[in-house]
Amino acid sequence: MSKTGQNQSSDPAAQAIGCRPSLTTNHSPLTTHQPSLLHYRPWRGQFRPAAWSVWPIARVSLAMMFRRKLFWGLYALGLLIFFMFFFGQYLLAWAETQAAEQTIKVGPIPIEPSRLIHQLRDGLRFNGSAYTFRNFFWYQGYMVMIVLAMAGSILVGNDFQFGSLPFYLAKPMHRWHYLLGKCLAVAVFVNLMTTLPALVLFVQYGLLDSWSYFADNGRLLAGILGYGLLLTVCLSLMIVSMAVWLRRTVPLIMTWTTVFIFCRLLGAALVEGFRYHPRWRLMDLWNDSYLIGSACMGVALDPNRQPAVWEALLLLGALALLCLIYLNLRIRAVEVVR
Amino acid sequence: MAFIDLENISRWYGTHQALKDVSLHLDPGRVGLLGPNGAGKSTLLKILLGLLPPSSGTGCVLGHDLGHGEDTASHGIAAFFDGEAVAQGSDLRRAIGYMPEADALIPGLRGAEYVALAGELYGMPRREAQRRAHEVLSYLGLEDARYRLLEEYSTGMKQRLKLAQALVHDPPVLLLDEPTSGLDPAGREAMLDLLLTLSRDHGKSFILSTHLLGDVERVCDSVVILHLGKVLLQGSVTSLRTRRQDRYRLQLEGDRTAYLEELRLEGVRIMEDNDRGEIAVAVPEGWVTRAFFALADNHGVLLRGLERDDEGLEELFHRVLADKS
Repeated sequence: MSKTGQNQSSDPAAQAIGCRPSLTTNHSPLTTHQPSLLHYRPWRGQFRPAAWSVWPIARVSLAMMFRRKLFWGLYALGLLIFFMFFFGQYLLAWAETQAAEQTIKVGPIPIEPSRLIHQLRDGLRFNGSAYTFRNFFWYQGYMVMIVLAMAGSILVGNDFQFGSLPFYLAKPMHRWHYLLGKCLAVAVFVNLMTTLPALVLFVQYGLLDSWSYFADNGRLLAGILGYGLLLTVCLSLMIVSMAVWLRRTVPLIMTWTTVFIFCRLLGAALVEGFRYHPRWRLMDLWNDSYLIGSACMGVALDPNRQPAVWEALLLLGALALLCLIYLNLRIRAVEVVR
Repeated sequence: MAFIDLENISRWYGTHQALKDVSLHLDPGRVGLLGPNGAGKSTLLKILLGLLPPSSGTGCVLGHDLGHGEDTASHGIAAFFDGEAVAQGSDLRRAIGYMPEADALIPGLRGAEYVALAGELYGMPRREAQRRAHEVLSYLGLEDARYRLLEEYSTGMKQRLKLAQALVHDPPVLLLDEPTSGLDPAGREAMLDLLLTLSRDHGKSFILSTHLLGDVERVCDSVVILHLGKVLLQGSVTSLRTRRQDRYRLQLEGDRTAYLEELRLEGVRIMEDNDRGEIAVAVPEGWVTRAFFALADNHGVLLRGLERDDEGLEELFHRVLADKS
């Protein structure tokens, strides 16, 4: 909608001299009690559609997350994991060139090249295979989970806690734009921590290996994107729903921990300890996403210890749907005016 | 052209009727919205913002049909994908700058960022929103506080900041929910001055919803009084207030006991005495104001002020409520 310009400045002096009003002089009506007409000027730009409001919401949410110094320790840990995979590949490549030697030195430590190669290739799986990326997602996932548990209240909870929701919902947008903005912030964060570095690793392995690596591992690329998408959708919906529900940081961390650690331990105990059906592991949501992520990358897991992939997919899908229904019910524009 | 035109608007919440056949035709200007708790003010504001659809009746705000531009912000996901409905609701809210009663601040943001974000959410491009945020904050006297965190703002600054975010996209209409709430007298005066300036010099219309009748009396030229979901009274403030020919307010200095006694003997009723030399009186028929001075002179009292005491908005409000109940 374009403005019709009905708010013409009535200041004759400004009109007479044809100059732009001064914006720097301290003539505020609230400081002098004598309004200075030179200060206010109408705005006649073009407005963008409501969908454009999604990105500013996400950007501001991300900015608030990145401003917390506490989180930078966790980002640093995430970066260390990435560097471990990144430079581990170079270490492996170098060790392979030293295979003829009896011993080589990694820093001050002497080690047999064959042993080092075995450790890096088969133990840590720095070989550019599906296991490499699955493991990378697994480790980075821990960092993502911890940060999200602590950032949930900053991202969404504060809007309810401090009454910021009316600020958003009184604007010309739908409440789903608000939710999309918040979920987009989580999605950007999750992908910055997982999918994007995984893609960098994928490219790096290809460059170190040969161009045929890219051609032969198309499935792997799709798997990385699929696992990233799964984490993005599930984690963003879950953390936003949980933050809307619990609002404060401490209850959020406790509940998040219960869902992802207690349920994980319980599921493992039931299946491994009490020999229950592997389906009991479905309560472990992190394992469910791991299961689907592994399937995306073409890694098969032991069917005697794990539920079927479609069951995990169904459960996570149902959970995402429940989150959407809850958010639809909980975020009401009628809260704007109390 | 009326900027608000409502015809028999009703709104039900289950079995409770919050608004009952409300019809309003408001011309651009400064409108005060008054009513006790539960009168339906909030529901009316929600309808005017396009957040709630009326259960029955028709209306339009600034040419935007309330029936079509209904609650695009509150309906489910189906409404989200209805592009036309979203656009209608957006257009309506884009034409209105809403200043909420609650703080509605985002902790962790700075003043300039908050107002620029509001501009972007209204649909302004980022650069322009940022530039405009600085302009508006300077205009509202928050130039020095632009880079402070919102948590560090005082109550008065928060109110100005909320006004800034409502004003950032230069809307023709402002919807102000208790804008002077929590302000000290000087801050309140300054805020009301500012609203008057915006209206008189920059053509802004506004609806001022408040419990403070003095605010409405000070800045509004028309008033709507709601009670139990109905419009009790609507019109210009001056025309609604009764012109009382028999009421005066006097300002006295000196020992006034004998003077007041003398007035009583002359048939003057003392309506109000604040013990600080200000009294309100009702005079009998045929009274001439010169008599106040003559009696004051007789009793050695200095009559420093004399003015006719027309009905105030507060008295009007209570009188109308009493009449209806």
